[in-house]
Amino acid sequence: MSEKVVVIPCSGIGKTFGTVSREAAYAVVEDLRPDRTQLVALSLLVLGDEEARAAVAGHPTITIDGCRLACATKMVQESGLPVARSFTVLDAFRKHRDLKPEGISALNPEGQQLACALAKEIAEAIDALQEEA
Amino acid sequence: MPLLPKKKVGIVACSGEELPEGTVSRVAALKVLEELRPDDTVTICLPLFLAGGEGDRAFARFYPTVAIDGCEKRCAARATEMYSGKPAASIVVTDVAAENGLGPIRGSRRLNDAGIRAAELVAQEVVRLVDELLGRTAQAVGKAIAEEPTPEASEEEEETVTLCSCGSGIPVQKVTVNGRVVTLIALPAIFEQFYQNGKRPGDGTTRELLEMTRIYNPIPREEEAAYAEALAREYEKFCRKRATG
Repeated sequence: MSEKVVVIPCSGIGKTFGTVSREAAYAVVEDLRPDRTQLVALSLLVLGDEEARAAVAGHPTITIDGCRLACATKMVQESGLPVARSFTVLDAFRKHRDLKPEGISALNPEGQQLACALAKEIAEAIDALQEEA
Repeated sequence: MPLLPKKKVGIVACSGEELPEGTVSRVAALKVLEELRPDDTVTICLPLFLAGGEGDRAFARFYPTVAIDGCEKRCAARATEMYSGKPAASIVVTDVAAENGLGPIRGSRRLNDAGIRAAELVAQEVVRLVDELLGRTAQAVGKAIAEEPTPEASEEEEETVTLCSCGSGIPVQKVTVNGRVVTLIALPAIFEQFYQNGKRPGDGTTRELLEMTRIYNPIPREEEAAYAEALAREYEKFCRKRATG
């Protein structure tokens, strides 16, 4: 249970789902599993920032993508680092079709709820990963 | 020249999640895109850009970009330069905050007052740059850029013809050259223009297509023949589709 899990959202800025990925990441690292997780910015990692790479190396990494393009997952893998679990907002939306997220700069309440639902799912995955470790 | 979409300025924000200044960059970019200059700007999605999004990269090759970074690591500016071209302007949130004597910016998830003020100041600076860029470069690029939007790709073309996912509308098309797939910028618009001008498939047309395509895409001299063959094949397909409606 000692190893921190790294969380990397795509934070895509062009679509609502990108904002949901960002909000879900914050919900995990600030609210649900604050002592057991760490946020790492995708762009820093991809551009070869040593600190970011060191933070990810040797730690289980969870990616959160807004859409099926899966930029976060792809880029972490292309950076030569393994992805322990990957989640997409699109999948979460399919499970919660009653929630219609809207807004990019500010999510509507349903978007926030969707982010929370996804964050809970991710928190469970973190528990499972840390139990395995 | 083919008709390309109206000229706009691309905004690339780092959106770094782990620093409040990253959130400032995102909030400022969205303020410009959604409220202050919605008709003159498009967002360039940094993760998609990094992951090889051709539409976003194509946009940044054609049009000026403004990079907004949270810190001195300048991920947005560096990525833009690496994959498309040097941004026309680059803003760093920490610089703006220091220049304006703002207090510590806190709250990556929910910005404090200093963060909100910083976002407003950065957004104002971006607006100033956007206005300057559109005014200053309009003449130079004006000949190549018409005010009419490019027609959307048909469903049949969806697999190979795409538009920028950020909404900028630059058309790109995937073509197989020498057994490998390459993405050619503006090709759908070039084909459309040739077709509208009554140019039908043939050797002369292929030569013209090659020259026009070269304006927007690097074509190695040693691969000219392969590119010409690919362009001839794709243009013939394009004409067949147009003729059958």
